[in-house]
Amino acid sequence: MDLSATLGRLTLRNPILVASGTFGYAREMAGLVDFSKLGGIVPKTVTQKPRPGNAPPRTVETASGMLNAIGLDNDGIDHFIAHHLPYLRTLPTAIIANIAGKSEDEFVQMAEQIGKESGLAALELNLSCPNVSGGVDFAIHPEVTHRVIERVRAVCPLPLIAKLTPNVTDVVAIARAAADGGADCVSLINTIMGMAIDWKKRRPILGNTTGGLSGPAIKPVALRMVWQVARQVKVPVIGIGGIATVDDVMEFLVAGASAVQMGTVNFYDPSAAMRVVGQLPEALGVLGASSIREVVGTLD
Amino acid sequence: MELATAPRFLQVTSRVAENVLLARNTFRIRLHAPELAARIRPGQFLMVRLAGTSDPLLGRPFALYDTVLDAQDRPIALDVVYLVVGKMTTRLATLRPDDRVELWGPLGNGFPDLSGREHVALVAGGIGQTPFLAHVRELLGKRGYGGDPARRRVQRVSLYYGVRTADLAAGVEDFERAGAAVHVASDDGSVGFHGFVTQLLGRHEPPAHLVGCGPEPMLRALANLAGTWKVPCHLSLETPMACGVGICFSCVTRVRTDDGWDYRRVCVEGPVFDAANLARDDRTGMHHG
Repeated sequence: MDLSATLGRLTLRNPILVASGTFGYAREMAGLVDFSKLGGIVPKTVTQKPRPGNAPPRTVETASGMLNAIGLDNDGIDHFIAHHLPYLRTLPTAIIANIAGKSEDEFVQMAEQIGKESGLAALELNLSCPNVSGGVDFAIHPEVTHRVIERVRAVCPLPLIAKLTPNVTDVVAIARAAADGGADCVSLINTIMGMAIDWKKRRPILGNTTGGLSGPAIKPVALRMVWQVARQVKVPVIGIGGIATVDDVMEFLVAGASAVQMGTVNFYDPSAAMRVVGQLPEALGVLGASSIREVVGTLD
Repeated sequence: MELATAPRFLQVTSRVAENVLLARNTFRIRLHAPELAARIRPGQFLMVRLAGTSDPLLGRPFALYDTVLDAQDRPIALDVVYLVVGKMTTRLATLRPDDRVELWGPLGNGFPDLSGREHVALVAGGIGQTPFLAHVRELLGKRGYGGDPARRRVQRVSLYYGVRTADLAAGVEDFERAGAAVHVASDDGSVGFHGFVTQLLGRHEPPAHLVGCGPEPMLRALANLAGTWKVPCHLSLETPMACGVGICFSCVTRVRTDDGWDYRRVCVEGPVFDAANLARDDRTGMHHG
């Protein structure tokens, strides 16, 4: 069985990645998860300056899903490079850093800085965090998406993954702009903007009022968007959104994803990603396939 | 740098041994989980999730009530005491022996070692008594945890336990049997002292150390009393948690730093904090934000 996944310049041992913001900095999972089983790890989004994050409550469970508004709580890129990257680069799997800038210049500066570091397989650009106020919602404008990626491309040698938001009218236009700007691949979807209310107190439940919906509840939306983008845009797609089982993974591959990221499931089933990798050969066998690429984008 | 030699926590499918009513809406569930029971220490917690459903989706954190030993004194199961408050605990209360749940743990830092103190007072409100039974047994040398032999650490342990009303008091006999002097307060005067548990505590001589677990206003009052008495005080916090293991950054609380405060994860840096290190939100006066 050939489980490898090909994403342009980036080749992964298998198509199962763990999504940014759902696996900490990997240290937290050491011992429980055998990192060598994973296709790769995307650590939590890093910003240029430290950010305390949003006021709690930061998450609330909803029907078959959850809302989060963490607010990119992190200690900044210098701390990431000094304290997390030295650990991450020792792990026996692909590490894909994830950055978010408040401006185009911040994206470019961070990409340039992190692009000089060893031990990274790729760089994912978080163009789509819904929980950061005052910033620019990069991935809702095709022109801005195109320009940011083009500028990052010019200063950073790593394969680039543009992580896209579903909170747009036409995700295909954004994905195409990312590809035209020089993204090696696109990953989608980030969380869907949502809200939860305590009607007795007449108050929003989240400290940030609104948050991003994730988990099994969003899988049909993610699947639809991945399918739309994969058939209309030339770059490989990484599917994200409510993926929790090997069946979910196979659905995304057939829909056109070349790899997937498992996210929220890490919160409620910490060994899920590793287990799903082990189940992939049998699932491929059901389709008479002996490699991942044989099933990618094979929807009738 | 941490080495990935031994798992920091385990994820297991556990069989329900029993699930019994302790007080109104309050149950003790006994979960067969030998490896977890052998490692968990007082003040730590575990995540419990219902198998085979996506609603409720997430696990919920529960304090260790106590471990259960087999005939050869080996840890074989653990007890969790829970109050039925929502979707998950309503479902949990319907589980019967031989049903299965998903568990991961042990999680969190646990209570500090209070060896050498003469008198430790544990102060609980609502369902906040649950982490203290194992703590009493450890402090009085009735039971060892995490592979440690039983060893008496303090002379006396008191439990100050506040409830809304008498029929919500759960496990008082367990605490008495473990050797704690139990003082109950109730909001409506239906049992024990009529008033807040911190008011009851304030009528007694200061202990050498305070440990609190309960609703935020109670913890605030306790921290204030500890300040007045100049007695060291640890608080076990409960904040909304999604993962329990440090990867989601949901459960943060404000902790003092050199230049003010920063949010820290209760699941990995807590749930037990020195009250002196917690920073309150100026807007709400709350520890949690």
